[in-house]
Amino acid sequence: MALANLPDRQSLYVLQDGERGLEIIEDSRIPSAATFRVFKQDHTLANLLRSQLLLDESVIFAGYKVPHPLEPYFLLKVQTNGTVAPSRALKNACIAVIATVTNLEKRFEEQFRDKEFDLGGAEVQQQPFYSDAYADF
Amino acid sequence: MNSTVTIRELKRDKCNFVLRGVNLGFANSFRRTMMADIPTVAIDLVEFESNTTVLPDEFIAHRLGMIPLVSTNCDESMKYTRECDCVEGCSLCMIELRIDFRCDRPGTTMNITSNHLEIRPMPDNWGPGNTGEELAKRTPEFGIPVSKSKDFSGFPILIASLRKGQELKVRCYAKKGIAKDHAKWSPCTAVGFEYDPYNKLRHTSYWFETDKAAEWPLSPNAAEEDAPLDDEPFDYDAEPDRFYYNVETDGSLTAKEVVLKALADMRSRAATIVFNIDNPPTSDAMDISEAPMAQMPLPTRAANGSYASPSTGWGTSPNGSGSGTGGQGTGWASPNVTAAGGWAV
Repeated sequence: MALANLPDRQSLYVLQDGERGLEIIEDSRIPSAATFRVFKQDHTLANLLRSQLLLDESVIFAGYKVPHPLEPYFLLKVQTNGTVAPSRALKNACIAVIATVTNLEKRFEEQFRDKEFDLGGAEVQQQPFYSDAYADF
Repeated sequence: MNSTVTIRELKRDKCNFVLRGVNLGFANSFRRTMMADIPTVAIDLVEFESNTTVLPDEFIAHRLGMIPLVSTNCDESMKYTRECDCVEGCSLCMIELRIDFRCDRPGTTMNITSNHLEIRPMPDNWGPGNTGEELAKRTPEFGIPVSKSKDFSGFPILIASLRKGQELKVRCYAKKGIAKDHAKWSPCTAVGFEYDPYNKLRHTSYWFETDKAAEWPLSPNAAEEDAPLDDEPFDYDAEPDRFYYNVETDGSLTAKEVVLKALADMRSRAATIVFNIDNPPTSDAMDISEAPMAQMPLPTRAANGSYASPSTGWGTSPNGSGSGTGGQGTGWASPNVTAAGGWAV
């Protein structure tokens, strides 16, 4: 039904049956290093985790790559100074991201409440969609 | 933890805010999530009963797909068709919209617009696994074109112009999706993103003919930051920490909802990684149905002790080239490359 040579686009971001989201490959030659293979995720998550890992003092190296644009996974390489395991460092980074997100949610809620209060609560609900785009229709 | 936000402008479909105290990776991830990962509803399947307009079927189908539909709380109030237990579409995973319009007025043309899309009830033939709780979370306007929403004050979207005797009769099925599949599912028309308006960090270099300052006017966001001194030395350790966003939506979701859903989505992604680290694959039966984002059935354990995932990359070749070795030396399996390395037709 679909074009024969066109992969299903959902396969770029939905895990297949039996597919696991994360694969941990311990590095056998470098101490306290591991590569994480995260499936069906892209730069959105990869760069977020990489930049968060680099803020961790016990992390010596963190970098990611998407080896091929048609293959929907990325590799995240992490090396720590040995005080924590790489998977623990990654977990800490994720927890830090969750904390930031939770904090921002709270800040946004406050700001939304203030803004809606300024505009007079109910009016915000009634406020029409912005329609300048159609001005010379 | 000390991240803050300042909303500078808030409208239903627009939110302009400044984010502080986060790093560039987070800020960019947030922007990408708002653009591509927030589910909305859009027409995805169009059945033509009659089309005697001058526009071909596929042209009209494409135009219909791009029409924004009200998708309030879409991530909870609708199922993806791929996850629904129904056989061929039900009220939980699809919305039917119809156009039945014929121009009978002589001497003039008539326009079919997004306001002619009439919503029709879908059958409630949910499969065994569905409870129908999604329906209770819907707003009364869920699924109607944004131009028919009571809050909308603009003009509807023109679909086709008909002369006398021409007719368009179609059944459209709207599904839930995200913009990674097709941009029509993006709730955002634009996400403006800027940091470092004075280019103090030198993340960019300006090309100019004669006068850099005259040819590159400052952005309005520059008012938020201190101008650098003329002889200010370059700070090698500086990191961007203020990000200026301008989120505009097409009306399918409010800008507020886009922002909050994007944060929730980022959290669930990070939580999935935490879950996967805490629950390494074992050969024992283990209940992982509590996974925060998606259900992840257990992978098989390979003989060498590594955890192989049954499907990496594209999986099996659709045109049956068998082993799926791909082009030698490229290191990745392409579905349309034969074992000999030539291109299969």
